[in-house]
Amino acid sequence: MSHAARSVSNPSALNRRQFLRGVGAGLALPAFASLLPARAFGAAAGAATPGVTATGAPLRTAFVFFPNGAIPAAWWPEAGATAAEFAFNPTLAGLAPVRRSVQVLGGLDHANANAGGDGGGDHARGNGVFLTGVRLNKSATHIRAGVSIDQVIAGRIGHLTRLPSLELTCDAVRKSADCDSGYSCAYQYNISWKNSNTPMPPENNPRLVFERLFGPGAHGGRAAAAQRRIAERRSVLDFVLDDTRRMAGRLDRPDRDKLDQYLTGVREVESRVQRAEQFGPNLDPDRATPAGIPGSQADYVDLMYDMLLLAFQTDSTRTATFLLGHDGDNRSFSEIGIAEGHHDLSHHQDNAERIAKLKQIDKWYVDRFAAFLARMDAIKDIDGRSLLHNSRIVFGSGNADSNRHTHTNLPVLLAGHGGGTLTPGRYVRHGAKPMSNLFLTLADQAGVPSLERFGDSTGRLADV
Amino acid sequence: MPQLPSFVRALVSVLAGASALAAAEPAVANFEREIRPLLVKYCYDCHGDTHDKGGVAFDKISGAAGLQDHKLWLRVLKNIRSGVMPPQGAAEPLPAAVAEQLMAWIKRDAFALDPARPDPGRVTVRRLNRTEYRNTVRDLTGVDFDAHKEFPADDTGHGFDHIGDVLSVSPLLLEKYLDAAQSIIAQTVPMQPRVVAETLVPGVKFATEKIDTALPELPKPAAIDPPLTPLATATAATAEKGFRRGGTRGPPAPPPMQRPAPNAVGDTLELSYYTPVTVAATHPITQAGRYQVVLELRAFERYVDNVFDQNKCRLHFSIDGEQVLEREFVREGGKKFEFPFERTLAAGEHTFTVEIIPDAPQPQVRALRLRLEGVTLRGPLDEKSWVRPKGYAKIFPRDPPAEAAVRRAYARELLGPFASRAFRRPIDAASLERLVDLAESVYAQPGNHFEAGVAQAMVAVLASPRFLFREEEALPLAPSEAHPRIDEFALASRLSYFLWSSMPDAELARLAGAGRLRAELPAQLRRMLADRRAAEFTRNFTGQWLQARDILTVPLTANDIFLRDHPNPAYEAARATFAQLAGKSRDQRTPEENERMNAARAAFGEFNRLPKPQLTESLRRAMQEETELTFAHIVREDRSVLELIRSDYTFLNEELARHYGIAGVTGRELRRVQLAPGSPRGGVLTQGSVLAVTSNPTRTSPVKRGVFILDHILGAPPPPPPPNIPSLEDAAPAGQLKQLGPREVLALHAKDPACASCHLRMDPLGLALENFNALGVWRERELGQPVEPAGQLFTGEKFRDVRELKDVLVTARRRDFYHCLAEKLLTYALGRGIEHHDVTTLDRLVADLEATGGKPSALINGIVNSAAFQQRRRVNPAALVDAPLSDRPALVQSNPRSP
Repeated sequence: MSHAARSVSNPSALNRRQFLRGVGAGLALPAFASLLPARAFGAAAGAATPGVTATGAPLRTAFVFFPNGAIPAAWWPEAGATAAEFAFNPTLAGLAPVRRSVQVLGGLDHANANAGGDGGGDHARGNGVFLTGVRLNKSATHIRAGVSIDQVIAGRIGHLTRLPSLELTCDAVRKSADCDSGYSCAYQYNISWKNSNTPMPPENNPRLVFERLFGPGAHGGRAAAAQRRIAERRSVLDFVLDDTRRMAGRLDRPDRDKLDQYLTGVREVESRVQRAEQFGPNLDPDRATPAGIPGSQADYVDLMYDMLLLAFQTDSTRTATFLLGHDGDNRSFSEIGIAEGHHDLSHHQDNAERIAKLKQIDKWYVDRFAAFLARMDAIKDIDGRSLLHNSRIVFGSGNADSNRHTHTNLPVLLAGHGGGTLTPGRYVRHGAKPMSNLFLTLADQAGVPSLERFGDSTGRLADV
Repeated sequence: MPQLPSFVRALVSVLAGASALAAAEPAVANFEREIRPLLVKYCYDCHGDTHDKGGVAFDKISGAAGLQDHKLWLRVLKNIRSGVMPPQGAAEPLPAAVAEQLMAWIKRDAFALDPARPDPGRVTVRRLNRTEYRNTVRDLTGVDFDAHKEFPADDTGHGFDHIGDVLSVSPLLLEKYLDAAQSIIAQTVPMQPRVVAETLVPGVKFATEKIDTALPELPKPAAIDPPLTPLATATAATAEKGFRRGGTRGPPAPPPMQRPAPNAVGDTLELSYYTPVTVAATHPITQAGRYQVVLELRAFERYVDNVFDQNKCRLHFSIDGEQVLEREFVREGGKKFEFPFERTLAAGEHTFTVEIIPDAPQPQVRALRLRLEGVTLRGPLDEKSWVRPKGYAKIFPRDPPAEAAVRRAYARELLGPFASRAFRRPIDAASLERLVDLAESVYAQPGNHFEAGVAQAMVAVLASPRFLFREEEALPLAPSEAHPRIDEFALASRLSYFLWSSMPDAELARLAGAGRLRAELPAQLRRMLADRRAAEFTRNFTGQWLQARDILTVPLTANDIFLRDHPNPAYEAARATFAQLAGKSRDQRTPEENERMNAARAAFGEFNRLPKPQLTESLRRAMQEETELTFAHIVREDRSVLELIRSDYTFLNEELARHYGIAGVTGRELRRVQLAPGSPRGGVLTQGSVLAVTSNPTRTSPVKRGVFILDHILGAPPPPPPPNIPSLEDAAPAGQLKQLGPREVLALHAKDPACASCHLRMDPLGLALENFNALGVWRERELGQPVEPAGQLFTGEKFRDVRELKDVLVTARRRDFYHCLAEKLLTYALGRGIEHHDVTTLDRLVADLEATGGKPSALINGIVNSAAFQQRRRVNPAALVDAPLSDRPALVQSNPRSP
């Protein structure tokens, strides 16, 4: 960690505490001896400071993926709409209460999710390309994707928080055997990639997410338990590091790559141990640890969104991904009276009954997202703005029209003001630009220095 | 060439082993002379002269590079062998002798295989997957660590979740490994020499003192707000069913509102929120003193879609008649509760009493219950009364010595064997010293016990890559060998992870240590397969090869499946009425509309009362077990693997037998059942597990079932569907779908030649299984139309129904099945995908199966004795790693042809 990075992290850590003391609600916090005055975040402010907004508050970024696209006619605002004057169609209607914080982004494509010469596998590609923008190596075993945009951002600002990034999913069930058309399942169940061959597997159990954020055990004892965990981890790190190096020395190339992943993991734990010392005791929210995976899918998704919200609110991380369900997901939505599988339905063949059901499912996903945004909007951040104001949350799918497996004009929303860098409340038609262009812009705003290209980008996305 | 420097010898042997380039020139000439004319004659109609069906164009093949396109030639080999190519009805059928000639040429020249010096292939160093981690930890420490819950899922490749190339280590997983190591050791190794004594009075020891099971005057579930959709009606029915399952099993079921009595579940006692009851246990205490008494409970609910059970109950807890706790419980979602109380207790009997007072005015929809885990007595708390921790002597055979050097020696004595077992090979002295250093650095700190230091070193062992990865060492290369054999410790691990999904046991380790494992391999294989741990082989192999695992979670909606076999116009009309009117409230509807709604509700009620098969959890488990027991039975008794396809027996319990419509089976245990002559059951294809996991949630999918048979039984998976072509299963003009049977729907495939070439392979196979609905229930009709299972394989064999299909599979297509099973099992045993150089091994395995009439022992022995299992590909000089041979011209020139 560079000296410069460290000097940034300290004030913002204090900001976080100061902010948390202000928010209070729902969180019991340790007492802090002294807090920097308001100039603390003023001092850290400035466009060049990575990971913070203009006021110095943390700038959070999340990418939320929903499966199987959306019925376009019900998703997009009516033709004739202008950027500012448009009406939500039924699928997006639930966003009305947070309309001023949401942008509808039209005309974003993922050309690398198209078949190209690779044949079938649009779901694996829809998933694996979503945050990487690269062409996936079509293979059951030889995995090659690319680093995902969240990991690019986390690579720059991850050191500012306890966790560099957080990966979540509500995919609790995995099918055995092969995945989509000869693609490894790794492409299908992961959207976040540390590098081209190391996926960041998401956590699907809210209990484990919560314990990772705040420590095991009941309220009151979590901070101490988390400290203990860290001390215990530290005590074996040297031995493990040494063992890993020695073992790597005995192996040949492809095997050494696997050990490299191990070594990277060990180093990351090591730097987290250091960060933990730097940040002091963990926060300990005054709420029960979730018991596990709720029985109802709505409860499950809502609870996972809550975990994301808590992570952002407590500034435990500033970068997150949330895979609501992998592309090709065949869950049935009996809770809203839909017995058929989602994927099965999505090949609707213009059957009106099936389309109606798909619209219901699309709306279900958007409604859950809207509720999450409303909760984000109700929480005050350190600078007096809302948590949502200081966030950028991309919500989208890797397929546009799942009936035909298209990857152009993807259904994408961008929520939050990015601390004032974004202009939400609009419907912006970007006209056939790579989704990767949006990612470049988001990376710029997060302070990732001069990233020339990302995925299949052709430039920055203007007017967001 | 004894006088050559060793690196030159290495190069020579690498090149001789591959021999591709040395042989390239004659091979090309040979190809042009003998093989191309055959391709022109039999294949060019579709794959030459500008045709490139399926992306294959033989006229584009030229030179050595074309010959070395191993992927292409492997496809060609498989398609010729299985009779897929040339297709039925091709202008020039392929004579058997020509097919043999082509296949022999591919193996000899394209693959350059030398059966005398087989290439064992390359297995990427494998980390333990979740299943292996759990089993290994259990066998090493005795702790059952639920890795499936705690670790992120393992990614799969080639259909299995233990393929080295695909298993990656993310930072998150590493963090989990460290924490898991800590928690496992904390559960097994005492951190200090003496602790407070602890006794659990388990819930099951609590006897009922007072109970009132009389039915209260409560509203019936039917009086819940009118359902908004027909499905809500269905779920209320499910709720009752669910509740039934919580109490006694199977019919006759008590009426839904009966108050259940306390129910022993394992060591715990389940108490219903709805039953007023008092339970108590008495426990003797020998030593008077200050004690901590901890009441331990868990509160459960059974979830029913969006219907919330708002009922409550109160709980009173008393110690020796003195009430110390009164607490209200609402629905708590599986939460664990611990209530500690400190008391001074005299020696003698003490009584603990739990009383439940229901507070349940609401209709009961989800069966809320409290699980009394027990009362833990910790004490006497006074340090003088502390005792040895449980299991102390197992880890620490004697008291820790005082003197520093002796302490180190004792630590070494404890850590050496542990680390050697964990690493599955003897630990080297230097590593052991580092472990002892680590232990000492902990126990030398003030306030720490010796035990804590040893424990921490054990944590380090479990966090080491040597525990988490399977590192394999090779023996020195013998002069006659192209590739070295793995050493016996590596062999022991390969065997144990293949057949037990766990670490080698003491006997395997002992034999490997003595260098006698290879010599005693046949006996060890028999022992291992007879061991109870071989159940892991059955479970993990069938779970993935036949996807029997998925039956536990596959989403299926029994009502919709039922409706396809038993069309119900009244119910459909009622559904339509609801769709039209449910949006309006009662006041907004006209009297006539309200009348229609009432009629619709009545129709739903009637439908709900119809007896219908339900896919209960116990039925799902029975289906999984049926598949596992079938496989295990065949392996254990060394019967023909063809019985996996066709047999006159299967394994059933009462519930599954009833589901299949088979009489005369009672009880919950699955057992072997002789099937009536002509029964369509017997063999995995007509087992509930396979039939259900290849279905969509509301109906069968002949396409998925056809693909399953092609991929998992015949080993000839169709190419993936082309991009941007929607599933044709429903490609009927809108509105007509419901009138079309599946056969007519699939007939649409044949209209488009692009679809037909593959769908003519898969659809007939799937349609043959149409006599089984998505739950695996036998049926004669679907959507009012008779099922027509007759069809023809793509290789021409005709069948009238599923019975005849099975006959065809075990006779005419027997070799294909042998090949397929051998390929799947070899993949499973090696943890890597099958490559072109495995063809020799597979041919040998199939020959062994043919020679023995399909004995599993022949297959397993063949795999274990193959070069792929016994050897490791030579570690080449770094420059050679991964570079394709054609990229190495320089090496050819430097190849010293004569010493």
